[in-house]
Amino acid sequence: MPELIDVVEALLFASDTPVEASRVQEVLDLDSPAAARDLVDSLRRRLDAEGRALQVMEVGGGFRLVTRPEIAPWLVKLARSRTRSRLSRPSLETLAIIGYRQPVSRPEVDAIRGVNSDAVLENLLERRMIRIAGRKESPGRPFLYETTREFLVAFGLRDLADLPKVEGELIVPELAETAAAQLTEPPPEHEETAAADDPAEQDPGSGGDRVTASS
Amino acid sequence: MTGQEAATQGAVQDSGITVRVESFVGPLDLLLHLCRTNEMDLSRLSLRTITDQYLTHLESVRFQDLETAGSFMVMAATLIYLKSKLLLPANPDDADEVLDEEGELLKRELEERLREYARVKALGAWLAEREAEQTLIFGRTTAELPPPEDIPLEDLSVHLLQRAMQRLIEDQKRRVPREVEPNPLSVLERMSEMLELLRSTWSLLFSSVAGPGRLRAEWVVTLLALLELVRLGQARARQAELFGEIVIERNAVSVREPARDAEPAPGESAPDPQAPHLQAPHPGPLPEGERASAEPGESLNA
Repeated sequence: MPELIDVVEALLFASDTPVEASRVQEVLDLDSPAAARDLVDSLRRRLDAEGRALQVMEVGGGFRLVTRPEIAPWLVKLARSRTRSRLSRPSLETLAIIGYRQPVSRPEVDAIRGVNSDAVLENLLERRMIRIAGRKESPGRPFLYETTREFLVAFGLRDLADLPKVEGELIVPELAETAAAQLTEPPPEHEETAAADDPAEQDPGSGGDRVTASS
Repeated sequence: MTGQEAATQGAVQDSGITVRVESFVGPLDLLLHLCRTNEMDLSRLSLRTITDQYLTHLESVRFQDLETAGSFMVMAATLIYLKSKLLLPANPDDADEVLDEEGELLKRELEERLREYARVKALGAWLAEREAEQTLIFGRTTAELPPPEDIPLEDLSVHLLQRAMQRLIEDQKRRVPREVEPNPLSVLERMSEMLELLRSTWSLLFSSVAGPGRLRAEWVVTLLALLELVRLGQARARQAELFGEIVIERNAVSVREPARDAEPAPGESAPDPQAPHLQAPHPGPLPEGERASAEPGESLNA
């Protein structure tokens, strides 16, 4: 009989999508998702302690078994290709807007970016970084967009709360007048982020600082 | 990333006014860049400086499309409008620019949009870094496991479905409809058609065989076929009056044999009000096959 921890390793090895704690619990017939999480954690520790080439990563609401970044040079050599298609700057900025304001319509994205975002949205849909979440009940009933799990995986994010905090809200220009009133006040924390945050796993160093510094 | 590199490069070199403008993705991007190079506070825009520089840059922008060009122009118009609203003539010592109420509101909105865009741009840069980090990490992208039997509905967006549908429709469109030529009429075929019909019914009307279209060719072919059948003794034809309906009857003797394997075919023996009437005088007991084939007519009658 293999040990549970080995089975967890196999599950993560075989799956192409992040495996949720609840799924691990279901497959292994465990008592709670917490027990599953414990197992994954001990697997993570074991891989780390043994200095293995693989690591457990928590992304998109589940766990993945991935290679360590140090191994990348050899993998690139193996693949005989250096290029991995990356998103353009407009695409990344559009993703940022959608990530924070979802569900959001194209006119709103356009207003923030100051240019038409049709082609960019089409590209993001094509790459499954975003999907249509419905229609907005406003003139023209435009589509509403939201980010996908693939987005979280592509950027190594556990969930949306992993996005850096921004100084102030991301505001649609139509609402700019109310925003102007808040300007003198200290910047409020981003609400969504604050609500969903897990304080133990917060990483304030990387995101928040950089964003405030550059604006 | 090239855009950003270009922007920062521009910031470094920009003591004169040489910037690689084409890398700006929109008017806000350009405006933000100008503010940065002038080390301008985003909540205290200097309209004179920014408008002049914006217009200078605009001349060298190569627009990708009309719409983008339009958005640059709208921004230019806004800036010029605001600048025109400056109440006092320029005073180099005075950093404050005084506007009327509407202008002030417009300026504030512009500043807010700029700050907003600055945040978005910073977030975009943050995402770019994350993306770069992720390119060093490799995980499975295709499953070793057989696909689940239930389709994961949460991952199916309307958009994907719509796209799949559209692809199907496009495929369908690409298939050019084939022109189907109607078979040329042939007397021989019409003859066998009529014989086939006569197997399941006792009599036919000429008009029903010739078709409802009353095409001349149809009538000619049908008549020729009928005459040929009569000549061969496989059918009989009666016409009660001049130009009246021709009733075609099977010639009992000769049709009996092929009729053995006949099956009741209600569709073909169809509405022929005269049929039962004509049937009645037929002498003698019917063979099994023929009795069966006569049924549809009877049931119709009943």
